This record gives sequence, structure tokens and C-alpha cells, in this order.
Amino acid sequence: MTIEREILVAAPPATVYAVVSDPAHLTTWWPDRAEFSPVPGGSGTIEFETADGTVVHRLTVVEAVPPRLFSFRWSDHPDGRDLLVTFEITATATGSRLRLVESGFGDDAVRQDHERGWDVFLPRLAGVLA
Amino acid sequence: VIDDALWSAIGDPTRRRVLDLLVRGPATPTTLGENLPVSRQAVTKHLKVLTEVGLVTAGTTGRERRYHVDVERLRRATGQVADVATEWDARLHRIKDLAETLHRSREDEP
Repeated sequence: MTIEREILVAAPPATVYAVVSDPAHLTTWWPDRAEFSPVPGGSGTIEFETADGTVVHRLTVVEAVPPRLFSFRWSDHPDGRDLLVTFEITATATGSRLRLVESGFGDDAVRQDHERGWDVFLPRLAGVLA
Repeated sequence: VIDDALWSAIGDPTRRRVLDLLVRGPATPTTLGENLPVSRQAVTKHLKVLTEVGLVTAGTTGRERRYHVDVERLRRATGQVADVATEWDARLHRIKDLAETLHRSREDEP
């Protein structure tokens, strides 16, 4: 199972890369605390404050190719599945295109599947289930 | 937290095709096989997975089992997928805001 998303950003790829890879920036858009080295193999933790206390997840950097590719593995549950998050950044005339892929909800065969399927499937289901 | 088994069950494209056919009405493995590019045996295997997670249930009328979708369970499963996508949309917008703010502040520097 894969989630794919894209967004246009009015900033150069280097800036976008810093925002998605620098632990100090990560805390602005995702965890409450982040501690890892943003280099391939760099490992550390991200922490979330929840109603039940602090939840700590392990994060391991897979690829770090500034300013175009940053990926890491994490688990969305302390004893849960391993997820792979990939950020791809390409330059556009006005800034950058940021593409996110989160995959690994299940086995490798499932990972091949893309959300394109959902883009067709979900609206159609919505019509049927409404 | 997403139900892993449920998520895996609907992660497979063929199983989504099966569900897509079943939401139109109950069907047997034979009729499903006629509408899918896989064997009847493969259809039966996929139906087993979908049955195990409760997305479809089987009833026996006549010689073959007829399968139908549990609409409430399917609604829950698809809702979970939509939730994950929505969370990422929110994060991406925060990434965009931060990158654009950083970029503007650098441009403003003398």
C-alpha cells in the first residue's frame, strides 16, 4: 500500500530539502522532538506528545541526496510496521515540486501498488456507499 | 492506528477489483472470474483473504458460494486510507509554509 502526494512550493529545492531533512525543521511540521543525523544510515528518534504521554519512534535515514532526494524508515507504532517515507524534490520555474511517497503498509507485492488505484477506487466507492 | 490485516487486504489491486465488482451486487467466484484477468482459483484465494478480514461474507445458495460486501467494514477500511492521506496533506502544507517563509526571509536579507 502506498500513499503518494505532490505539492508545489515557492522556494528553491535546497530550502525544501532542508525543511524535510533537518531535524530542527521536522518538528515544525511533524513530531514534537526529532533527533537523528540526516545522512544515509543516520539513526535516531522522533517523539510525539499524546494524551497517553510521550510516544517514541525509531527513525533511520535511507537516502540523503541534497537537494533532490531524502528518504527514511520509521514505524507508525512502537511495535508496528516499518514504513518508508520518500521525499523527491524537483526544480520548477517558480520553485520546487515536492513529491511524497509513504509505502510499506504490508508486504513487498503490496508496496508495488500505487495510490493511483485509490484515486479511482475511492471516489467510485464513495458513490456506491453514499 | 490502522488495522494491518484490513489494510493489507485492500492494498492488493486484484482484491480491490473484486470489491469493486462486489459492491455492485453479490457474486460467485465463477462470475467474478469472468470479469477479472485471473483464474477462478485465484479469485477464491482473494475472497478468502477478504473474508478473513470481514470485508466480504459468503452465503450458500445453490451449488456455489455467493459473496457480498460488508459495506460498513469497507467504509471503515477506505476511511482509514483517506485519513493517512489527509494527514500527509496537512504535513505537506506545513512543509510548504515553512520552506516559503524561510525562502522569503533569506531574500529579505541585505
